[in-house]
Amino acid sequence: MSQQQKRRRYELDDRGFNEVPQKYRKYYRRREGPDDELAPNEILCPVCKIIVRSNRELRPGDRVYCMACLTRLRIAEGADGKLEAEVEY
Amino acid sequence: MGSKVPGEGDGLHDLSRDSFHERVHTFGHWFDSVNGYLEGRPLGYKEDLSAGEISPEVRDRLIATLCNYCVGETAALEGSGGLIRVAPNRSAKIFIATQAVDEARHLEVFTNRLRELGVEDPEAEIVSRAHPSLLKFKEKLLALVDQGDWLRAVFAQNVILEAMEFTVFQRHSTETDPITQDLLSGIINDERRHIGFGENELGRCLHADPGAAEKLVAVRQQLDPLVLETFDLALRDMGAPANERTELGRDYMDAVGRLGIA
Repeated sequence: MSQQQKRRRYELDDRGFNEVPQKYRKYYRRREGPDDELAPNEILCPVCKIIVRSNRELRPGDRVYCMACLTRLRIAEGADGKLEAEVEY
Repeated sequence: MGSKVPGEGDGLHDLSRDSFHERVHTFGHWFDSVNGYLEGRPLGYKEDLSAGEISPEVRDRLIATLCNYCVGETAALEGSGGLIRVAPNRSAKIFIATQAVDEARHLEVFTNRLRELGVEDPEAEIVSRAHPSLLKFKEKLLALVDQGDWLRAVFAQNVILEAMEFTVFQRHSTETDPITQDLLSGIINDERRHIGFGENELGRCLHADPGAAEKLVAVRQQLDPLVLETFDLALRDMGAPANERTELGRDYMDAVGRLGIA
């Protein structure tokens, strides 16, 4: 089984994020304080601090878009082993 | 080359970079976005909200703060309007036009809030309460716009000024009356687009011409002292401790760090 096939999938629900057009709202949510843990399919946008969501578990090298601040992000593994987003201009 | 993450039917994360930018730098995207948080808010806040009791001291500080917000929004409105002509392509012209509309709305709702707080002549009040450092910043920003210097003007406006506003508005919204809080919330949403556009536009320009970073370092040296002083004064007007300045300036420092102009 390839790594690609092993990825966990997620059913995205609308979390009340109203800053993007209706059809894209499920891909985003607001951070709810410092104790708000990110799920494996979520990443924090370093530019505007909104949480970007995917319907699949994220891995280093993936690219996602933050529509709230119009930014393209590349997923990378941080020094602490956690995933983080780098801006791709 | 990284792997792609497919979306669910609409393919959001599957889009190419050019397709994404083509899609989001449109008036349609702007309208569908702002409609989500401005519908039912003709004055920028929910009509059923009440400000509650505001003491004379808090009211006076709030008026001082809002007057300076009006100065910043006027700078951004005039700056954005001038930059439409300077913008290097259609996509950038359309985005900066939507920003000009946002800034005009911000100025309008802040001015209206001043009237609600009992200020009879907002224009005169803004003049009398404006911090000299912010006025100086505005003058320098508009000089860059007048020179037609897209790169430096976008840096001054969408990175420096917008980052400061984004941070100050967020801090302010945690400790103010419900009406001002709701009004700030909608404006913060707009600011996300503005700071994102600025950083991405500069990032692309610097990728194409790395030598241009030197010009932006010079702008920083000129404008940073004005921004930091304005930060301090804004915090003072809010009644917040001055030692929060470093914390509040972090987003701005992170942005210039990512762009390589720290």
